[in-house]
Amino acid sequence: MMRIQFNEELNRLHHDILAMGSRVEEDLRKALLALKTGDIELVSEVKASDQIVNAMQMKIEDQAAMLIATQQPVAKDLRQLVTIFKVTDNLERIGDHAVHLAKTAKRLSDSPYPRPLDRLERMAAIDVGMVHDAVASFLNQDEALARATAARDDEVDAEHKAFVQEVLAYLAKNPDKAQQATRLIATSSYLERLGDHVTNLCEAVVFMLTGAHAELNE
Amino acid sequence: MNILTRRAKVSSPLEVAVDSGESSYALEAKDLSVYYGDFEAVKKLSMGFERKKVTALIGPSGCGKSTALRAFNRMNELISGVKTSGEVLFHGVNIYDTDVDAVQVRRWIGMVFQKPNPFSKSIYENIAWGARINGYKGDFDELVENSLRQVALWDEVKDKLRESAYALSGGQQQRLCIARAVALKPEILLMDEPTSALDPISTAKIEDLLDDLKKRYTIVIVTHNMQQAGRVSDKTGFMLLGDLVEYADTKELFFNPRDERTENYISGRFG
Repeated sequence: MMRIQFNEELNRLHHDILAMGSRVEEDLRKALLALKTGDIELVSEVKASDQIVNAMQMKIEDQAAMLIATQQPVAKDLRQLVTIFKVTDNLERIGDHAVHLAKTAKRLSDSPYPRPLDRLERMAAIDVGMVHDAVASFLNQDEALARATAARDDEVDAEHKAFVQEVLAYLAKNPDKAQQATRLIATSSYLERLGDHVTNLCEAVVFMLTGAHAELNE
Repeated sequence: MNILTRRAKVSSPLEVAVDSGESSYALEAKDLSVYYGDFEAVKKLSMGFERKKVTALIGPSGCGKSTALRAFNRMNELISGVKTSGEVLFHGVNIYDTDVDAVQVRRWIGMVFQKPNPFSKSIYENIAWGARINGYKGDFDELVENSLRQVALWDEVKDKLRESAYALSGGQQQRLCIARAVALKPEILLMDEPTSALDPISTAKIEDLLDDLKKRYTIVIVTHNMQQAGRVSDKTGFMLLGDLVEYADTKELFFNPRDERTENYISGRFG
């Protein structure tokens, strides 16, 4: 095996991506907890952490660009570096959604929803698991895991649709709760979009491993 | 009578040959083996070179790529102890057939070497001399100008055509050698690491030139420079220990090679 320095740099990038993915996952958990408990402290924590996530993205992408410029990678090495940009881009967007969720949690805490938010919690739990597995599929170069993770987006979509119906039914009976209903639907939409970003990430992993573009979970 | 003899007698052989449709390839090796004594340097190589495309041959030192290249115009015959078997088809004719003249072969299938090797003559004579001994009867001034223009050298040397070719820079000398080859109006240009002795600017000029030359010629280039193969060629063949491991469109081979040995070599992981 040659190219020791290049391999070391790649390992460092993997480590940084793991750190970024773990932080995004943790932020999602905190946003979910804020949603459940109305703990406002968590909201500012998630917002502060998102700044770190953004900085991590820039550092990883700068390093990947530097490797492309100085090492002239080809074949799978090149595909891996190109994929890193997609991984960080989607993780950063997922981090943004965590902030949106946390902010919505804060607003919802002003006038509590009369019923438990079971579906939202289920969606968020699936999303957190998907983020974890998608990053793992990249780091472990596991195509099957990438495909299986993307497939779980169907569960998120189904929960989202059902939740919207629940909120609409609630709104029909409580027309004065339009603002709260809108916030709930927005929250569900963030969680739904989050699943799409994970799917994009999984597609990038399949591309990295096979060299072919895959449309997972159309 | 074969095409190499016959073709020399037609008035416009290049056009006739290129349009003849006798083969889908400009050149095709079939079960080509080349031996240095008992050592088989090229092992039953079968590959076709598409017309007016640049094909790169890559591989580690000793893989047989330069030996194969020299076999494509019978240049190995100039090395003692070399034995060749199999076929190299040019317009359907095996260039190794006993009635084919090696000099004719090298006229139609030209070679450019690693180090520029101009003749110890003027710039003008470097172009004109080869054409003259090959029986060219046309306008020599026109031939010299046309050949030098084809390699983008005319503007740099038009005022010093009678000066020694040795007065040119290495990069200019290499373009002069390419001009010397194209002056014979070949169909195929074989290039054995044509830029390895040149600086990056001269290399870039030659690479730009290849893109222009392939409009008129079929080019086969041996290179150690992976990036160069990626930049200049349409197809790439990876050779290892005398075998053609993988042969594919260049962008496919450099982005998603099928064979792990190719992947390891182009990624620089070949220990």
